[in-house]
This record gives sequence, C-alpha cells and structure tokens, in this order.
Amino acid sequence: MVTDASGRLARGPALILMLTAALAVSVVSVTNGAYPLSAGDILGVLVGDLEDEVARMVFVDVRLPRLVLGFLVGAVLAVSGALLQGLFRNPLADPGLIGVSAGASLAAIAVIVLGGTWLGGWVDLAGNWALPIAAFAGGSGTVFLAWRIARRAGETSVATLLLAGIAINAIAGAGTGLLTFYSSDEELRSLTFWTMGSLGHAAWDDVAMAAPWLVVSLCAAPFLARPLDAFLLGEQVVGHLGYNTDWTKRITILIAGLGVGAAVAVSGLIGFVGLVVPHLVRHSLGAGHRIVIPASALAGGTLLVGADCLARVVVAPAELPIGLMMALIGGPFFLLLLLRTRVT
Amino acid sequence: MLLRVDNASVRLGGRQIVDRLDFQLDAGELLVVLGPNGAGKSTLLKALAGEYKIHAGSVALAGKALKDWTGKCLARQRAVMPQRVEVNFPLTVEEIVRLGRPPEPLSKSQPILEELMALLDITHLQSRLAPGLSGGEQQRVQLARVLAQVWDTRKPVLLLLDECTSALDPAHQQQVFSLLRKLAWQRGFAVLAVAHDLNLAARFADRLLLLHEGQCHSSGEPLDVLTESALAEVYGLSARILNLEEGYPLVVPRDGRCAKDYDTLSWPGLAPQNSSCRQAS
Amino acid sequence: MRVMVLVAICAVCLSFVTLAKAGEPRIISADGSITETVYALGAQDRLVGVDTTSNYPEAVNSLPKVGYLRALPFEGVLALKPDVLLTTDEAEPARTLERLEQAGVAVVQLPLARSPADTMARIREVGRIVGKEARADAMAAEMQKRIADIGIAEDPPPAGSASARVLFLMAAGDHGVMMAGRNTAGQALLQAVGARNAIPDVRGYKPASREALLASHPDAIVVAESRPGQFRIDQWPQLAALDAWKQGRYYVGDSMLLLGFGPRLPKAMKEVASLLKEAEQVASNGH
Repeated sequence: MVTDASGRLARGPALILMLTAALAVSVVSVTNGAYPLSAGDILGVLVGDLEDEVARMVFVDVRLPRLVLGFLVGAVLAVSGALLQGLFRNPLADPGLIGVSAGASLAAIAVIVLGGTWLGGWVDLAGNWALPIAAFAGGSGTVFLAWRIARRAGETSVATLLLAGIAINAIAGAGTGLLTFYSSDEELRSLTFWTMGSLGHAAWDDVAMAAPWLVVSLCAAPFLARPLDAFLLGEQVVGHLGYNTDWTKRITILIAGLGVGAAVAVSGLIGFVGLVVPHLVRHSLGAGHRIVIPASALAGGTLLVGADCLARVVVAPAELPIGLMMALIGGPFFLLLLLRTRVT
Repeated sequence: MLLRVDNASVRLGGRQIVDRLDFQLDAGELLVVLGPNGAGKSTLLKALAGEYKIHAGSVALAGKALKDWTGKCLARQRAVMPQRVEVNFPLTVEEIVRLGRPPEPLSKSQPILEELMALLDITHLQSRLAPGLSGGEQQRVQLARVLAQVWDTRKPVLLLLDECTSALDPAHQQQVFSLLRKLAWQRGFAVLAVAHDLNLAARFADRLLLLHEGQCHSSGEPLDVLTESALAEVYGLSARILNLEEGYPLVVPRDGRCAKDYDTLSWPGLAPQNSSCRQAS
Repeated sequence: MRVMVLVAICAVCLSFVTLAKAGEPRIISADGSITETVYALGAQDRLVGVDTTSNYPEAVNSLPKVGYLRALPFEGVLALKPDVLLTTDEAEPARTLERLEQAGVAVVQLPLARSPADTMARIREVGRIVGKEARADAMAAEMQKRIADIGIAEDPPPAGSASARVLFLMAAGDHGVMMAGRNTAGQALLQAVGARNAIPDVRGYKPASREALLASHPDAIVVAESRPGQFRIDQWPQLAALDAWKQGRYYVGDSMLLLGFGPRLPKAMKEVASLLKEAEQVASNGH
C-alpha cells in the first residue's frame, strides 16, 4: 500500500479500496444468511420474476432493510464517535460518554420491565414502537440534559459536559440496575439481549423510522469538519479562527445525540464502532475531519454490515447478537493495533 | 490607531485581574507586554482575543468596538497565539499550519504555507506528526499557523502573541522576534506580544508596557521603561541596566542581591557528588 | 395475544388439510418443555429445529438450534423451512413472529403451564398439533394417575397450619444461587405439591444472601441446576448448616425437570412430595 512521509495511506487508493470493500461486503451480506438463496433466486428477485414468494421476502424484506439499516447505523456510530472525540479532544471519547447509551438503556429496560404495569398505557399506545421510541427519547433526552447542565452563562463547558455525562451515566446505570433487580427472569433475558444489540428484526418500517435521523446527522456532520479541526488545537483556538465555538458544540452534541439515539433505538447497544473506526481512520488517513468524517462513515457502515453478516452465519440458523460480534472482532483487533503501535 | 484600549477592566472569579488599563497600538508597531507572574498579561491578551469579557471600559479595533465584530471578519484581521496549544491527535505540521487558512483551493494556500514554513524553519518537519515534535518545534508550528491566518489580509492586521518564544532556543528566539519586527515595520502588522525575556523585549520592541497588579506601571520606549527602580518595584529584582551603543538597554541581574535572599538556605542534599558534566569556566 | 393464538391455531388446522397430503408437517419447537413433550409423544421425527432452551432428551442436541426463544431470528427459523413454529407466549420479538406468519409459517403460541392441569392441557394441545391426539390423551391420563398416586391433599392446608415450608433455589453460574420467590415456576411446583415457599416475600428470582438462607428455616430444600454438578454445597456452608440439609431433606435436580412443567412433572412432584413426607414425620415426632 502506498504511504506518504507521515506513514499514512495515499487518499485516492485508500478511498477506492474502502468503496470496493463496502460494495463487496454489501454483496456478500445480501447473498449470505441462514436461508439458502441461490444466485438464480437473487437474480430473479432483481429482475422481478421470482415465483418463490418466501425467497423474495427473505431478500427484499429481510436482507435489504438489514443491509441499509446496518450500514446507516454503523456509519452514524462511527461518525458520532469521531465528532465527540474531536469535541472532547480525546481519542478515547465515545458516544456513551455523554449518556446516550445509558439513557437509551434506561428507557428501554423501563419499557421491558414496566411495560406490563406502570407503562402499560404507553405500550398499548405505541405497540411495537414503544421500545424504540422510548430508547430514542431516553438517549437524546439524556444528552440534552447533560448539555443543559454543562451550559452556564450562555457557554457550554466541555469539561462540565464530560462530568455531567459521567454522573448521568451513573444515575441511569443505577436506575437500570434497580429495574433489573425488580425484573422477572424473562424480562431480564429480554434486556440482556437488547443490550447486546441486534439488527435481526430490521424491516423497512424500522428503516423508515430511523433513517431520517441517521441520514440528517450523517449529512450535517461534514459541515462541522473545519471547526472540529480547530477544536483539535484547543477550545480557544476555535474562536480565534473565527468559528462560533458554542454553536459548534451545540450542533455536535445535537447531531451525535440524535444520530446515536436513533441508532440505539433500532439496533440496541452496539459498542466499539464509535471508538475503533475513527481511531483506525485517523491513523491510516490522518486526523483532519474532512477526511475522518466521510471515511469513518464508510468504514463504520462496512464494518457493521460485515459483522452482521458474520453474526447470522457463524451459528446459523441461530444468530449471535451483533454487539457481541463487534466486541469479539473489535476487541482483539484493537489490542493488536495497540501492541503494534507500541513496538514501532 | 488600530487597537485602542480605554480604561478596560477584566474580572475573573470576583477578582479584578486587569484594572482600568489604557493603551493604544498603531499599525506597524511592536509592543511587548512585560510584568511578573500574575500581573495580568495573559488575561489582558485573552480579553483582547475575545475569550474573556471586558468588564468595564472599552476595546476598539480599527475604530469599531471589539464586541461588534463578527467572528469571520475578526479572524481575517486579528490572529491569536495562545500560551500553550496541545495537540493529541495525529495531525501533520502542514495540516496544522493549513488550519489557519480559510476554505480555499490548494493552489492558493500552498505558496503561503511553504513561505511560512520556510520563514519559521519548519519546512523539514512538514510531514511529521505534531504529537512527536519538541516544545520549540510545536511553538514555531503554531506561530506559522497564526501567521497563515492573516498572511494575505490587505487591511491592517493585529497579532496577539502570548509568550510565543518561551520554548525556543536563543537562535530561534532572535529569528522569531526579528521576523515579528520585520512584519511590523515592512507590512504594517500591529504586534502585541506578551514576554518574560526582558532583554529580548528590549532589543526588539518599539514600545514596552510594564504591568503591575493589573495596572500599567509604565509604558514607552525600552530605555524609559526598563529602569532599575521599575524592575525593583515590579519584579522585586535587583539589576543593572546597561545602555548599549546599539540603542537599547541590557538588563543584568545582580548577583545574590535578589529581594528574597536564598543564600540563607542551605541544601546539603544538592551538592554535586560525581559530576560528569564538563564545567565551562 | 389470545386472538393471535386462536388465529394461529386456526391457521394450523387449515394448513393441516394441505399438509396431510404433502406429508408430515415440519415443526420447530421453541420451548424446552414443549420439545420434551414432542419427544415423549414420539413425534420427534417431525422436529426440524429447536431453540436453545431445549436440552432434553439428549437426542435433541443433534437438531439445529435457532437461538433463544426470546430472540428468534427470522431468517434462521425460515431457513429450516418449517410449517409450524411451536412455542409459548414468551416467544419474541413479536414482529419476527408476525413476519414468519406472513412467510407462511403457522406460529402457535401456547400459554405457559404452571400447574398439573395446565401441563396436561398443554400436552393434549401439542398432541393435536403434531397429530398424536390419542397418545397425548393417554399420556395425560397416565400423568393424572401418577399425580394422584403421590397422594397430595386436594385442599391446600389452612393458613397458619404447619404445612411444610420449602426453600427453592436455582443454581446460577458457579457461584451464584437465586432464591425463587412469588411468580416463579419454582413456587408453582411447591404449590402443586401443597408446600409453602420459605421465601414468600420475594418476587421472581433474586440473588440469595447467605443471611436470608439462614433466616429462612425451611423444612426442606430444593435446588434446580441447569447442568449436573453445577450446584456445590461446599460453597454454601450456611445452607449445609440448615437442619433440613443436615437431616437430608433436600433434593438437587435438573432445572428442566423441576421447572419445565412438561411430561416429567409427576417425577418432579414425587421427588418434592417425598421430602415433605419426611419433614412431616420429623414434625410429628417432635410433637
């Protein structure tokens, strides 16, 4: 692979490589799964003259929405990770840090555990959407709360935001623990599966519900590239360079909060993407956000689609939770990377 | 009059850090702000940079109150170098310098970057990653980034520099300050630099502003400001002032005659035992 | 939910008309005790897949597993080309079940069984679905007889009387033990044999504190473990110090046997009931 003087990959070839990988992984993903679909079946679906209604359903209503949702969720998680790492000037920041995951979890477990009692009315009203809507509200709500706490005299303090996030995480964690304690064995199992993440039940209406938020946050993120670059030099430099510091912070938190909230709502908790992908991208292509944001989106989407494909193939006909799969792939890979950079 | 500070005060945490300060800075002038630790130098600079609110009084840039400027316009005419900039991310030197530039095609920014990197002696570092650079190298990179911001501005430019040479070796200190003076004299930049090195300030500054407890102790040409009595009053430093024939003063601190006499202390543990350093004598 | 079950059952009945011609229906059983029932009815050749809660009998392990019944994968279930997905009300996610029906799989959700009567009803229901009605009826009748032979008092003993108090524990992992409180299958089993729960104030399964174990003073102890040898008494000296344990009034058994409410229910009830008899003897000797 071509590298320049700073040890990075040349951008042109790297981009082509990433696009190729994204395409290849997508093709592998839609053609593989527990249900056997022949090349003829898929061709038939694409042309539109397939007799086998079930095969058509598997391809069009299961694998395609799963691919689309997987790609969007992976892209949003990776991009949100990149945005927050830039904002906090910390390569270890993660969407979980400002309370998104904790808030979403709390709301989700509340629906699972209290759905039959206190929240029965809500569950009756929202039906299948009760859990995702609650998770979305919980996730973005906690981010908003953290941001309000960090905002004093018209300015947002990044340090306070971080501390507020930690405190909110702890409180939401305690709430989750309390609900877990009062949950029945069966509810507990449901919750455990939710926290391990899954794209298994993705359908087109999930895509329709989550895609607007996901797409908006993906499209808005590149506009933050320049001020976030300035953030890498320090908060005060952002203002010196003529950017509106507070506006940047607000928009970043908004984009990350809504995006991750929507992602968590439809796929449960999926870790590692937001941490590993931007890290990899930065080290292979550079830390400038004009590269990091789109490249993270592409790589994050590809990674999640690939992991999802593996998750449903390795133990077929059963499926591994995708969050688990991500940790299984991401954890050792990240360690390997750390060890390698330590040596060189 | 490019920068006009009228009776400006800055409060931080209920304490008056800058106290009713008056001064002006013209285009083409290099002003060095001196003063002991805690005199309010950095606070003044940050207030001028818009980081702190001016509590009372007023600051005007090019005849327009500072708070009436929009961020974009201000960034084209005023560049700020903070005391410390830490970069934890793998940005290259060239990328950092380019951050100073507004969005523009590469063909426009590239000549500016190359010129600045050459001027600050960092061309050989251009593809190195910032976290691996020495403190002095980082400081030069930041200065290049600050200058890139206003390099092609046609209107008068104000540079606010907070200890921009503190980590540099003597040769680079001289190089940077002579560059600043050249920018002031030849290109009409108004430069406000906070510094600690009295002799560096004396040699290059057109004017000095000596701060003491947030107030102006004295200001004017180096020969007038750097007097034995002023140094004793402001720094508690006992020093001789030599008027060099080059036209600027040289401050030579007196041996063992500091205000706080450390000779009365003894440090038995610190006596050199097995020094392998060569003593220059 | 009820309506859905009815609709599903109707769908099954309808599909049977066609299936009868096409051969035996392909069934996926997503519930341990239903799987056990299918085997007991001798209809295992119809099973094409089971879920991860199905571990008994041994032969079940050779069938493909479609995952956990609360996280059923759409494609995984469909891949086995089943005609019927036989499961309980616990099955999730609801949307996957809906879509499976759309894909032509008859989804049958049976209610949970928490009493001998439920269990027998469920056996008959499963029998009807797998086409072994006669055998299921015989099995239910046999079960009725065996339960009657155990000799449990028809009426629950009056409150305040000295009916035996049983501590029901579930071994979880290597070090944890959970106490079964109200609303658990453990409590349901105790109820079926006319015993009282020694921990009546807890709801669901809760981690056992060593103090609470000591304070419970049970007349007998039942421990359910998910694999043999999982529960180790040497790690629970407080339990070993209880009279019930010291005097041998305890039973450690497989959790599917004790909690499944399947074909082995009479055996489970007999084991627990025999503990109670011992306890009563001790009690009457004491008086």
